[in-house]
Formats: sequence, structure tokens, C-alpha cells
Amino acid sequence: MTLKERFGLDRFLLGERTVDGQPLVLNQRRIFILPTQRGLGFVFLIVILMLIAFVYNNNLAYMLAFLLGSVFFITILHTYKSLAGLTVQPGQSTAVFAGDSAAFKLIIANPTAVERQHLQLSLKTTSSFHLNAHNKAHISLPEHTHTRGWHTIGTVTLSSRYPLGLFRAWSPIRFNTKVLVYPKPVSQHIPFPETGVSQGLQGSFKKGGDEFYGLQDYQAGDPIRQVYWKAYAKGLGLFSKQYGNENTAEIWLDFNHAPGHSLEERLSYVCRWVIDAEQAGLRYGFILPGLRLEPSNGQAHYRQCLEALAVF
Amino acid sequence: MINPAYNKNILIFLLSSIGLIALPHAYHLPLPVFGFFAVLLVWRFLGVWQPQRLPKGLLLLLVSVGGLALLYSQHSGILGRDAGTSLFLIALGLKLMEIKSERDLYLVNYLAFIVAASQFLYEQSILMAAYILFVCCVLFATLVFINSYVANTRVALKKASVIIAQAIPMAIAIFILFPRVEAPRWLLFNQQQQAKTGLSDSMEPGSISDLGLSDELVFRVKFTGAIPPPQLRYWRGPVLSQTDGKRWTQAKDLSYQQRAKATFSGTVYQYTLLMEPQDKNWVFALELPAALPKTLRQNAVLQLLSVDALNQRTEYSLSSYAQYNTGASTPQEIQQAKQLPATPSYKMKQLVRQLGGFDSTPEVFIGQLLTHFRQQDFHYTLTPPLMENNPVETFLFETRYGFCSHYASAFVTLMRVANIPARVVTGYQGGELNAVGDFLEIKQAQAHAWAEVWLDKQGWIRVDPTAAIAPERIEKNIDINQLLPGGAIHYVAPSSEAQAAFNWLQKTRQLWGNVDYSWQRWVINYNNANQSHFLSSFGIEDFKDMVYWMGAIIAVIVATLSGFLLYQKPTTVDHTLIVYKRFLKKLAKAGFNQGVGEGARDFAERIKPKLPTHAPSIEEITEAYLQQRYGVKASAVGLQHLKTLVNHFKI
Repeated sequence: MTLKERFGLDRFLLGERTVDGQPLVLNQRRIFILPTQRGLGFVFLIVILMLIAFVYNNNLAYMLAFLLGSVFFITILHTYKSLAGLTVQPGQSTAVFAGDSAAFKLIIANPTAVERQHLQLSLKTTSSFHLNAHNKAHISLPEHTHTRGWHTIGTVTLSSRYPLGLFRAWSPIRFNTKVLVYPKPVSQHIPFPETGVSQGLQGSFKKGGDEFYGLQDYQAGDPIRQVYWKAYAKGLGLFSKQYGNENTAEIWLDFNHAPGHSLEERLSYVCRWVIDAEQAGLRYGFILPGLRLEPSNGQAHYRQCLEALAVF
Repeated sequence: MINPAYNKNILIFLLSSIGLIALPHAYHLPLPVFGFFAVLLVWRFLGVWQPQRLPKGLLLLLVSVGGLALLYSQHSGILGRDAGTSLFLIALGLKLMEIKSERDLYLVNYLAFIVAASQFLYEQSILMAAYILFVCCVLFATLVFINSYVANTRVALKKASVIIAQAIPMAIAIFILFPRVEAPRWLLFNQQQQAKTGLSDSMEPGSISDLGLSDELVFRVKFTGAIPPPQLRYWRGPVLSQTDGKRWTQAKDLSYQQRAKATFSGTVYQYTLLMEPQDKNWVFALELPAALPKTLRQNAVLQLLSVDALNQRTEYSLSSYAQYNTGASTPQEIQQAKQLPATPSYKMKQLVRQLGGFDSTPEVFIGQLLTHFRQQDFHYTLTPPLMENNPVETFLFETRYGFCSHYASAFVTLMRVANIPARVVTGYQGGELNAVGDFLEIKQAQAHAWAEVWLDKQGWIRVDPTAAIAPERIEKNIDINQLLPGGAIHYVAPSSEAQAAFNWLQKTRQLWGNVDYSWQRWVINYNNANQSHFLSSFGIEDFKDMVYWMGAIIAVIVATLSGFLLYQKPTTVDHTLIVYKRFLKKLAKAGFNQGVGEGARDFAERIKPKLPTHAPSIEEITEAYLQQRYGVKASAVGLQHLKTLVNHFKI
């Protein structure tokens, strides 16, 4: 790192750009420290004590002022120590639909033997936590999304005011972690496009057939009555019961047949179709200008379609 | 996290520490002020559980106005020590009523520190310092508490103690080196409340029936060389030469008449005198002081007076000679020393004549008189009978029970009857040797009165008639601890220094006395002059040096602490893994990367078909690595083997 980079204001405000996915160790290069408002108040207190000592020529009052002054200095080290040595690593973040909050996951690990009493991790919101020696914390930072596409995590700040609140040590961290945001599906269910869809299937897509063929991870949008509550009650996680028809039909979800006036609106309709078709257990083909996916179904296909919509 | 201002634990912690910090003020401040504060504190304590009971709006305004009115009625102003302290205490009390946010908690905490400092304006003992240090620890623990995610009293107290312990060395370094500047006089609000009543400037032995003995310290003396023997330890105070028959007072004119300089001979004693605060400006020097510091002057009767008021501890360096000649006197002085209230009675004249006062030399008469005291039925007591009328005659011919003042006044009166100039000298006699610190402690109980007689060519000569009747009083100290009212007087046995070794109590007391002496001398009394004297012994001469040294010492302390605090144990290095990573690197160069979460064996199986020529060595290295890292037979040889294999592996 050149000297110019090292003293760049950018680094102070936004943090260093980091290697993707690698754990980042907080050291003297990444931790900044400044007195807080309370710290400045403490300095004012010391000045008042010195004044009292001076006016009354009182050595013990001087001693008290000097003691507080020393405490002020030493707190710098302690506050630094409350961050030093921690490692930060981005966790797996799942894709969301626009309008939902994207949860950026970070793993803060404490490989040292020092217990961290109070840490704060902030993005848009701040989350406080406590970290034992040789321990890890998984923190999700929710951030509201509005538009589809790739969302980069902003500058995450890990900070601490421990022990006395006179200083704040902080470390701005930038990761290359991205979260994919799918278009927001339109809220009402609409009929599938006519192309290649036999009329008879029109009504049954909502039910998705009545033959149970297995469990699947719960997906946002799964009907609540399909949730397999027994497994959830046992703490195994959320699953949806999947039903299907034996003679699954094929449909084509074509962007060109989507209603709506603007591009975004039409993408939202296609998004709704994809969700509904996957839920119904249909085999669906997918057509975007410049992209054609053969009919299929299942998570991989579903993701592929949504990703295509997100980055279109 | 919830608002810390509503966290019960934090509030209880903070309020308790505030109670502790204010407690000693119960003795210092007017009762209404402290009472007002105590009511507010109790009110706030109740508010922890029942917040709806706390004053709000109009009631709070009334309470605040009440506090201000109280302040005004007690002190009529905010200047001065008492008023300032009351102001901060009441402000703290009122702020307690309004703790709404974390910011308020901090404000209350900071105000508490100011109240802690104000304690030192009243008392500066070691105990007080230790107490305040303890309370500061609790105050800091409150701050730790506020800043902890999971509040834990023990952890907070421990952290606060650690921080304070680490701060103390730096605080001491700054204390020693921080330049002391004397505050300008107009800024000094020093009040004289600290002063204690000591010797009086008059003496009326006949009206005292019980001489109170107090253990209170008057001054301490540290000798640089030899310590004078007990019979020479006379500490000169006011000289009383005017009498009305009952009461002895100082001569009206003590101005600095031109008088001959005293001449000195014999042993010289050099010493430092540390006076406790006094309400008079008398300095009790060993008879007779020769060299004086500039802050002292000597009056016509050879008593030392300080130029400034003695309302705080002051230190003087003096030297005295045991043998001296006070030099020629002035006629007024001689005249004054012969003054009698009335013509002496027949009885008195008869006694003087009988003892040779009218026909032999003064020396002979003095000797005869002392013998008379010793041989006749005279007694030394601290609880003499009252002698309202003509106390000297009553004492000499009737009661014959008295203490030093009775003997001194009777002796001087008889001298004057014999036309020999004489006067009463008051001061202190003796002093307890602190064996630990090697200094003398002189207490109120050692107040004494003796006589001075004018002899031609010899000047003023000290005669102590009490020594004739109770020599123990002079050679030993009265043991105040064993003295019961009206009981017999015990003296500390002459072999006390030998016994002290066995006397645990005595030793502890002396040790404490020594600690206290050092505390007073080096901490409380560490002023501008002391500082420059102390620092120049290290070659630190001026302001610039002080700043440099302070900076350097702070830097050293910070560096040491940083090393100590920030050193982190390096994570144990896994040599096996390092070697294996070298192997992976070689494969990566050839385009084979280990997948995330892919185990060593899986990886080997995956790439072996793609690198058939290297398959055996890949197999061997992977097995060696797994054996060395996870197997039970890990050894240095195994590691070396793995190293060799990896080194020879080439793609």
C-alpha cells in the first residue's frame, strides 16, 4: 500500500476493499479510534478538576485530575483492544425479491482469548452483540431493496465503545459480496400465457395436483397450508409439502406475451408466472429476448429463470 | 438494547456510588444542604422501582427552586469552598431527578467526580484518598456497566479496577513532573477552618482544675544529624512576662527592638520542621534557633513567627544550638521582667529570704529554690485544686499540687520578689521519637511552661522548675494512652525504645505515623519549592526539562502498557498444513484447484485420473499428510518425510 493510499480519506470513511470471501483480520491498519462526545465531556471534567486543584492549591485534587487523565489515555488502548484481532468474513446471502429486505450475513469470529463485551455492527441498521473468547457470531444485516439486479453490500462498520464509552474504535469494511434481487412479482395471480398451454390445465395450477410426492425447502411464496408444520415444530426447519400431477403439462412463459406497459411491469408479470408455475409443479419453458430455456422444473430451473429476470 | 437510563442494575450501581461519594460531606457541609441532598437521593432510589413517584413538571421546578433557595440561605453566593461544594452537591441531587438518557447518566457520573474532588478540600488524609480511589473505581464500573452488552457487576468492577491500576503509574509520573504554579492570591478561597487551636497566648494556672491532654499532632521534626537528648528538647513558643497575679500574658510591645545578637556554641542541630495547620503564626523552634529561612522572623523575646498565616501545612529548615548566650538586653526588657502586680506579701518575702534570695548570688538562690521544690511536699498533677485568689501563694503555701504552669509562675514570681529578672516561656517539651521514620512527633499533650532568668553576662538562662519536682516529665513523655482522668500519671518508661520492639501496638502506631509523615511531606505538601528541589536532584532544572521528562515517561508507560495489553498469542502454527499448502500451490499452478469444502482425499481421487503419471506421488503425499495431521502417529520424522515428498513433487 502506498503512503498516499494509506492516508486516503477514502480508507478512513469507507474502509479498504477486500479480497472476496476471505476472512479479514482487524488490525492497527483497519481500526480507527476517536474520542466520542462523552470523551470530550470527560476532558472538560478533567479541566474543571485541574482548575479546582489550582485554585485551592490542593495536591490530591491534582492527583485525581491526573488519574482521570491517565484513565482517558489508557482507555484508548482498551477500546482498541475490544476490536483488535477479530476476523470478519461474509457469509452466504440468499437472493430476495425486490421490496423484501436482503439479509447480508457476516461471520464475526474471535480467535483470541479476549472476551468482547460489546460490539456493534452496522449497515443501515445497527446490531449489538457480545462475543466470547474463541467464538463466532453470525450476524445478518437486513437492508431494504427496491430495484432488481445485483446489490453490493455497502460499507459495513464494526465498532465498539467498550469499556468506558469515551472512545469509539471502528473499522469500516467493504466486501465484494453481492446479493441478487429478483423483480418484484405482481401481487395478483394471473393466468398463464396461452401459448402451448392446454386449456384443461388452466384451473389446476393453483392446486398443483393432489398427489404428494415429497418435501422441499420452504420458498417465499409457498402456500401456507402446504407448510409441513410437524417438521417445523421439531425444529428441523421449514418445509413445504409438494404435490404434483402425474401427467404434468408443459407451458411456455414468454416475456413477449406478458401484459404491462413498461419493461419492469412486464418482468414482474413474468416473475409471477415463474413462481406460480414452479409452485404448481408444471414443466415450464422460459423465453426472454435473447434467452430461451427449455421446459423443465425444480429449484435449479426456477433459480435460473429468476436470475435471468433479475439481470435482464 | 434497552435504554440504560431505565436499567435497574445500572441505576442502583450509580446511585450507590453517589451515596458513597457524598457521604463524608455529612461532616463538612451545613446539615440542611446535606439533608436536602440525602432526601433527593433516597427519592431517586425509590424511583428505581416506582418511576411514577419521581417529581415531574411543576413539582420538579419547585424542588429545584427550593434547592437554590437553600443554597442562597446557607451561603449567600457560590464562591468559596463551602458554597462551591454545596452547589455541586445540590446540582448533582437535582440532576438525579432527571435521568432520562445515557447522556444524563454520564453527566451525573461526571458531577460525582467533581464532588469526589471537593472531598479533598476538607480532608487530605491517606484514608480519604484510599476511600475516594475506591469510589472512583465504582464510578468507572458504572460506565463499564453502561457500555456492556451483557451487564455483569463482577466483570464491570474488575475492568474498572484494572484500568485504574494501569492508570496509577502514569498519574504519579504526571503528579511529580507537572509544573506547579501557585494560584494568584485573589483566587485563593482558602479558609482557616483547618487550623487547630494550640497553645494560648496567656496562662492562668489557678483557674484550671483539669488539664486536658490531647493526642493531636502539632508538628514533626526530622533531624539531619544527631537528635538532641530529651532534656534539651524545648520548643520555644510565646514568652509571658506580664502578670496581674493570676494571669500571665505577653508583653505589650514585642516589636523588634534593637537588641544584641545572640552568640552560639556547642552542638548544632539541623532539622526540618513540618508544622500542622495552626490558627496562630507561631513556629516552635528548638532553643535556640540560629539560622532562619526568609519566611520566618524572630521577635524581641526570641520567638519565631511565620510571615504568612499557618493555615496549611508548612515546612521550615532550621538550625539550633543547644548552648547559647542571648546577649545584652534592653532596659525595658529587664524592667518588664521584674514587674509584679503588687508589693509581695510578708510570707513571700520570708520564703525568698529563707532561700537566700536577698543576700546570695542568683545562681545560689535558684539552686536553693529548686531544692525547696524537690524536698518539700510538692506534687506534680494534671488535676490540681482550683486556686481562685492569689494562686501563687495558695500554691506555694497551701495546696502544693500543680503542673508546669503552676511551678513556672511560682518560680518566676519568687525570682522577681528577689529582684532577679525572670519570665515564663511557653511552648512544647519533649516529643516522641518515631523509630521507623526517625523523626519526632510533638503533640498537644506536650505543651509545657518553663522559666527564663536573666543573669549578667550569661543572658537569659532557661530554668525548668517542673524538672525539679517531676524530672520524669522532662526526660520521658507522658503516656497519654494510659492516662485516666484523676488517676496517677504514667510515664513512658526510659527503656521504651527497647520495649517497642515487643510492643506491637506501639510499633504499628509508629509505622502509621511514619507513613502519615511521608504522605504529608511528599504528597500533600508537594509544592512549587519542594518540586524544584526534588527534581533538581535528578538534574531536571526548568520548565522545559519537566515537559520533556513528562513526555518521555508517559511514552515509556504507554509503550509498556501497549505491549502488555495488545500482545496476542500467535495462533499455533500448523507446520503440516503449511507443507501441504505448498503441494496445493504446485497443483494450482498446473490448473488443479481444491474445491471449497473438498477434503484432501476427495481432491486426490478427483485429480488422479487427470494426472496419471503423478498419481502414485499424489496418493503418497495425501496419505502422509492425513497421517501426519489427523493420524495418531504424527512425528517430526513424518513431517520431514512429507516435506521431502512435496519438495520432489514436480508437475
